[in-house]
Amino acid sequence: MNWNEHLPALILIIPLFGAFIAPVCSLGGKTARNILLVAISFLTLIVAFMLWRHVLANGISYYVMGGDKFNLSLPSGMALPVRIILEVDAFSAFMALCGAIVSFAGALFSVNYMNRFTGMGRFVSLYCLLTAGMIGMMVTGDIFNFFIFIEISSIASFGLIAFWRDKPTAIEASFKYALISQVGSMFILIAAGALYGRYNMLNMAAIGSVLKMGSMEKLVLVFLVGSLAMKCGTFPMHMWLPDAYAEAPTGVTCLLVAVSQASLYGLMRVCFSIYGATMGSSFIPWMLIVFGLASMFFGVSMAVVQHEIKRLMGYHSVSQVGYMLLGLGVGLLVLDDARAMADYGFTAIKGGVFHIFNYTMYKALLFLTAGAIYYATGKKDLNEMGGLARRMPYTTFMFVIAAAAISGLPPFNGFVSKLLIYESSFAVHPFLAVVALVTSVLTLASFVKVFQTAFLGPEKSSLAKVQEVPAAMLIGMVVLTAAILGASLFPSWTLSTLVEPAARALVDQSGYIGAILGGGM
Amino acid sequence: MWGKVYTGFGYWDASAWILFFFIAAFFTLWLRSQGRSDYKKGTDQDEIYWSGNEVPEDGEDITVPASSAYWGFRKALEPFYKGLLGMHTGIATDIVGYYVIAVAFLAVFILLV
Repeated sequence: MNWNEHLPALILIIPLFGAFIAPVCSLGGKTARNILLVAISFLTLIVAFMLWRHVLANGISYYVMGGDKFNLSLPSGMALPVRIILEVDAFSAFMALCGAIVSFAGALFSVNYMNRFTGMGRFVSLYCLLTAGMIGMMVTGDIFNFFIFIEISSIASFGLIAFWRDKPTAIEASFKYALISQVGSMFILIAAGALYGRYNMLNMAAIGSVLKMGSMEKLVLVFLVGSLAMKCGTFPMHMWLPDAYAEAPTGVTCLLVAVSQASLYGLMRVCFSIYGATMGSSFIPWMLIVFGLASMFFGVSMAVVQHEIKRLMGYHSVSQVGYMLLGLGVGLLVLDDARAMADYGFTAIKGGVFHIFNYTMYKALLFLTAGAIYYATGKKDLNEMGGLARRMPYTTFMFVIAAAAISGLPPFNGFVSKLLIYESSFAVHPFLAVVALVTSVLTLASFVKVFQTAFLGPEKSSLAKVQEVPAAMLIGMVVLTAAILGASLFPSWTLSTLVEPAARALVDQSGYIGAILGGGM
Repeated sequence: MWGKVYTGFGYWDASAWILFFFIAAFFTLWLRSQGRSDYKKGTDQDEIYWSGNEVPEDGEDITVPASSAYWGFRKALEPFYKGLLGMHTGIATDIVGYYVIAVAFLAVFILLV
C-alpha cells in the first residue's frame, strides 16, 4: 500500500482520533494526556509535511470518501462527482502545513501552561477537534463539507474560549463569538444550498466548471465572502476577535490564529477557484482591497491605545489580515488581465500568500510570549509590568524577533512579504501602498510600547520573584522562532519552495477543476 | 537559498543586509570599547542624571505606564478615537449588526454593478 495516496485522509483522521481518544487517555493521568496531545500534534505536522512534499512532487492529490475507490473521482457512467472529495493542491497543502506547525507549537506550550488546571481531558479533546476542523477546511473540495468543518472548528472554539468557565469575561467572549459565528455559518449554509439547488452539485471544482454569473450567484458570492471575511477578522466585522483571543487559554489563541487563516483560505478558494474569471465585475476584488485597507488602518489604530497585552495583539491580528486581503485582492483584480498579472498581480498574490505564512508564525509566537508573561507574572495589563527582560531573557529574545517581524523591520520575514505587497499595490494606486506603510509604522510604534513597558525599565517590586517559563513552553516558542528566522534568512528559498507553488495553485482554476473532472474519465 | 527576492520593481537581498548588520555591529562595539573604564564606582560619577531632578528611590515612580504612552498622538487624534472607540461597544447585538450591515451593503451593490 502506498501511504502517500492516503495522506489527505490521514491528516484528518489523526487529530480526529486524538479528539475521541483524549477522554479515555486522560484516565491514565496527566503524563499520558500530555503525551497524547503532543504526539497527535506532532503526527499531524509530520503528515502535513509529507502531504506538502507529495503535492509538490506529484501535483494535486484528491481522495474520494465513501466511494468504491479512493482515487476515482468520477466512477464510470457519472458525469459529476457525487462523493465527498478531499482535494489538496499546493495552496491547501501550504495552508495545512502552516496550521500544523502552529498546532504543534500551541500543544507543546499548553503542556505546562495548562498544567495547573482541571478538565484537561476536555481541553485536549477540543484542541484536537479544533485542529481537525481547521485542517478539514483546508483540504476539503466540497462546499457543504467545508461548512461542516467550519462548524466543527467553531464548536471546538466556543468550548476552548470559554474553557475557564469561572471567568465571566471568557463566557461573554465565547458567547459573542458563538452568536456571530452561527449567523455567519447560516449564510454559508444558505449559499451552499443555493448552489446545490442551482447546479445540483456541491463539489467546488465541479461548481467552478459550470458556474455562470447571475443574480443568485452574486448573492451567494456575497454571503460567502462576507461570512468568511468576518471569520478571519475583517473590519468592521472583527469585534468578536479581540475578546475571543484575549480570553482563550494562550495555546488555544495560538491555534485560533491558524483557524482564522483557514477562513481566509476558504475566502480565497471561493474567489479564485469557484468564481475565478467568471466573476466578471471588479466589485468584489475592490471590496477585498477596501476591507483590507480598513482592517489594516483601523485595526492598528485600536491596537496603539490598548494596554491589555493579548487584546492589543488581537487588534494587530485584524490589522495583519488587512495586508493579506490587500495582496490577494490586488491579485484577484487583475486575474483576467494577463499582462497586469505578469507585471504586478502575481507578485501581490505571492506577497499575500507569504504574509499568511509569516503572520501565522509571528502572531502565534507573539501570543505565546504574552501567555508566557501571564504564566510567569499572573498579569495581562502592561501598566503592571516592567523590567521583565532581566527575569525572562529567552521570552524577551523571542518577543523581539516576533515584534520585529510583524513590524516589517528588515531583514525579518514580515518585511519581505510586506515589500511584495507595497510594490504591487502601488502599481494599482499609490494610496494603497501609503496606507500599508502607515500601518506598518503604527505597528512598530505599538510593539515598541509593549517592549518598553513590559520588558524594559525598572523592575516592579511585585515582579521580583518572576522566573523564566518551563522548558516545554520555551520549546513551543522556539519552533515558531525557528520558522520566522528560517523565512527571514532564506527568503528566496521560502518563496520559491513554499510560497510560489501555493500562489500558482491558487490562480490555476483550470488545474483545480481538471484534477477532479478529469479523474476516471 | 541566499539569493535575491525580485519584486518586479526592485529586489531584496537578505545577505547584503546581514553583512551590513555585522559591519555596523563591529563599529558600534568598537566605539563602545573606546569609552573610559576608570570611573569611580559608588561616587557621583555613576549616579543617574535625571534632568537635574532628584532621582526617586523606587524606579517604579518614574515609569511611564502603557496607558499613558503616545498620549500626544491620542490627544491630537481625539475626534478620530472618539468615533472609533464609540464603535467598539462590545455589545453582542452591535457586533452582529455590523456584520449584517456589511453583508447587506455588499449584496445591494453587487446587484447594482
